[in-house]
Amino acid sequence: MTALLSLSGISCGYGANTVLRGISLDVPEGSLTAIIGPNGHGKTTLLRTISGLVPLTQGSMQFAGRAIQGRRPDEIVAAGIVHVPQGDLLFPEMTVLDNLQMGAYLPEAAKEMKTRLEEVFALLPKLKERGGQIASTLSGGERRMVGIGRGLMAGGKLLMLDEPSLGLAPIVIDQIYEVVWRLTESGRTILLVEENAARVADKAAQVALLDNGSFAWTGAGSELMVRPKILETYLGT
Amino acid sequence: MDVWVQIFASGLTLGAMYAVSAIGLALVYGSLNMLNMSHGALMALGGYICFYAMTQLGLPALVGVAAAMVICGAVGLAIYLAAAQPMLRSVNFETQIFIATIGIGAILENVILRTFGPQPQPQSLNLTGAQIIGNVHIPNQNILILVVAIGLMVGLSLLLQRSRLGRAIRATAQNREAAQLMGVRVGVVYAQVLALSGGLAAISGIMVSSLSGLLPNMGGDPMLKAFIICVVAGLGNVYGTVGTAIVLGLLEAGAQYVLGVRYSFALLLLLVIVVLIWRPYGLFGRRQVVRL
Amino acid sequence: MTTLSGIKRDLLIGSVLTTLAIALPFLTGTRYVVTQTTLFFIWAIVVTQWNLVLGIGGIFSLAQMALFAVGAYATAMLGYYFHMPMVPAMLLAALATVLVSVLIGLACLRLRGPYVALLTLAVAQVLFLLITNDTDCFSNPESGCMPLFGGVRGFTRFGDLGFRAILKSKFYIGHYYVGLFLLVLATAFAIAIIRGPAGLAFQALRDNPGYAVSRGISKFKYQLWLFGLSAFFTGLAGAFYAVNFAAVGPIVFSISVLLFLLSMIVVGGIGTVWGPLLGAALLMLVDEAMREAGDWRDIGLGLILAGFVVLLPRGLAGLRLPSFRDRSFRR
Repeated sequence: MTALLSLSGISCGYGANTVLRGISLDVPEGSLTAIIGPNGHGKTTLLRTISGLVPLTQGSMQFAGRAIQGRRPDEIVAAGIVHVPQGDLLFPEMTVLDNLQMGAYLPEAAKEMKTRLEEVFALLPKLKERGGQIASTLSGGERRMVGIGRGLMAGGKLLMLDEPSLGLAPIVIDQIYEVVWRLTESGRTILLVEENAARVADKAAQVALLDNGSFAWTGAGSELMVRPKILETYLGT
Repeated sequence: MDVWVQIFASGLTLGAMYAVSAIGLALVYGSLNMLNMSHGALMALGGYICFYAMTQLGLPALVGVAAAMVICGAVGLAIYLAAAQPMLRSVNFETQIFIATIGIGAILENVILRTFGPQPQPQSLNLTGAQIIGNVHIPNQNILILVVAIGLMVGLSLLLQRSRLGRAIRATAQNREAAQLMGVRVGVVYAQVLALSGGLAAISGIMVSSLSGLLPNMGGDPMLKAFIICVVAGLGNVYGTVGTAIVLGLLEAGAQYVLGVRYSFALLLLLVIVVLIWRPYGLFGRRQVVRL
Repeated sequence: MTTLSGIKRDLLIGSVLTTLAIALPFLTGTRYVVTQTTLFFIWAIVVTQWNLVLGIGGIFSLAQMALFAVGAYATAMLGYYFHMPMVPAMLLAALATVLVSVLIGLACLRLRGPYVALLTLAVAQVLFLLITNDTDCFSNPESGCMPLFGGVRGFTRFGDLGFRAILKSKFYIGHYYVGLFLLVLATAFAIAIIRGPAGLAFQALRDNPGYAVSRGISKFKYQLWLFGLSAFFTGLAGAFYAVNFAAVGPIVFSISVLLFLLSMIVVGGIGTVWGPLLGAALLMLVDEAMREAGDWRDIGLGLILAGFVVLLPRGLAGLRLPSFRDRSFRR
């Protein structure tokens, strides 16, 4: 399988703080790659760096054969990397429908607006129900669905999901992950950040454990399942 | 009774003028978190350019207005590029841009002073005559101002709700990072907002000067009032701003009649302080959850 | 680096500067230099206090000049209407300024940063309008109609510190030392705040508001105290201004003066100990140089203000940040 996204020796951080060091990862096309690890160790920073929100101090990134390090966030979205951020970051005063339509802001996506909306509604019927509701009045689970739906509206070749289970009740998490698995099965390339390794290990083709700013372990998801020692060492579970 | 209709008419006009100005300020603050203290100077600049175009160059009114809008829009853009953009990532951006724009406003005002002199001038764009309904005397200029202001607000509303730029502006104002993740070039949005605000300042300046004459520092008080309107409405809330502007215009007209011009601003301020004590985030502002 | 070495250094710098200042009138005989330095003392007092409010307290107030004006006007009016001697008048005026500042603080300090700035600016403007738009004649002396607050002309001949009687034509030297004395007091106060526990409390409020509040530091109370105390010296500076020039008028409210003083703080470095004085000295020198320039003065000031904020936000004192960095105080 070809690597759709290729990270090489990435170092980055905020101001004087270096958060990530020597990050290298290949995200193969058409499969699920999961990044696990304790909170506060850089998982979100990694996704934000790929999206161009955090500048690199070292290293390079390749996407679909083109170098993307140093590019503006809007260029990265245009190239085909869609980022569903942690905590949703919805537009609070817009309706669900408006939020979804913002997802298809770029001209290429805007052309497909109607078809994409139908696809999103088919996958997430609750969004159609609540189309006219103001985003700030939604429940946690509904907000999460809007966030994912908004990301899907952009199309894109790589979908990055940052902690889709964050802050949700277990039943709701199941519902959200239901959607994620359907996306995986349809052949999308997904880069998923998740704190709960057990949830994703068996579905992930590749798992990378981020510990203290660098990858302590990478391998197949199936491998992780049979080597619980790894999880114990780094996550204490 | 007639007196009150008169006051209502003046108040509505005042409110409409303030609204045009305040919207520009609200847009800029909502998108960039920037209090543009050079707005008043931009108003004066707009007024003087229109005056110059019409009086010295003999151009028709529409051209004068268009020229004023374009030039002030360009100055707004220049302010963004020279002062705001370099400091966008700084922690104290709000404070720094506030001070910087005070300085820029002073520069603009004094350039106007040097170019046109300190003597007051009447604004050339001024309709004469009035509509007389019974005992009520409504100057045509006031009606023109009201019509133009309403037109502008409708236009702006359409821009914000229906156009691509409008959606980008709203998205950027509501969540800058999310907007970036949608593919919005926030830097370009900022530049456009500042240019738009400059154009609005120009029109507002022409309107104000048509009623009270041209002076290099004419923009100071209207700008302060426009800011107060924004604060009372809740900084960044564009629609609440329009409503508050009209109410404040009516209050000011009423206060001027009852207490005289001298005390009207003081009374307004007192009211504003009372409102803010009651609602520290403004009438329509939302308490923002601060992540510590 | 400990607080103590910070204070020691400040005391050293302060002593050297004070000694130089004491010697100045004897080193240069020129009346102009002495009187201009006296003016520098006045602005320096205001700027050190404003720096406390802005840089330490984090209060974005533009009412400083209005408070200065309250001090000046109160002194003049006490002298003019009640024939009060100037020394008690100055003290009373300073207290009046504190009262006004507390009122303003109560109204504005619960609000967020930009709101405070706008509201304080509005308060200053309203006071200006109340004074200048007053055309009713409160009293009618031979010089003509006199509104209650002096109207556009302002007050003159309201009192004297007594130096003319003692020193005759060298009375300005007496004023010089009074000004220096007030500046030393004001600076000592500022240093005490910055280097002391209050300074730490304010820094905690800036760095981590949630934690500071959980430790019992009430932002509102602390800010109100700082606002009021700094108003004392500001009012005193205004009072001295009135007495020194034997005149006071609405010019003290002008945007020009506000711009001038704001530039001093920005150039010097907001929130630093010696920044304001450095900025004040520099800008007075620049002003001297631009004296011929007339209209260009305000354009020049605007450029300096905007330029420094964009290019050198930490000001000149902040430039040497590595050596100024000690744990007790950080911008």
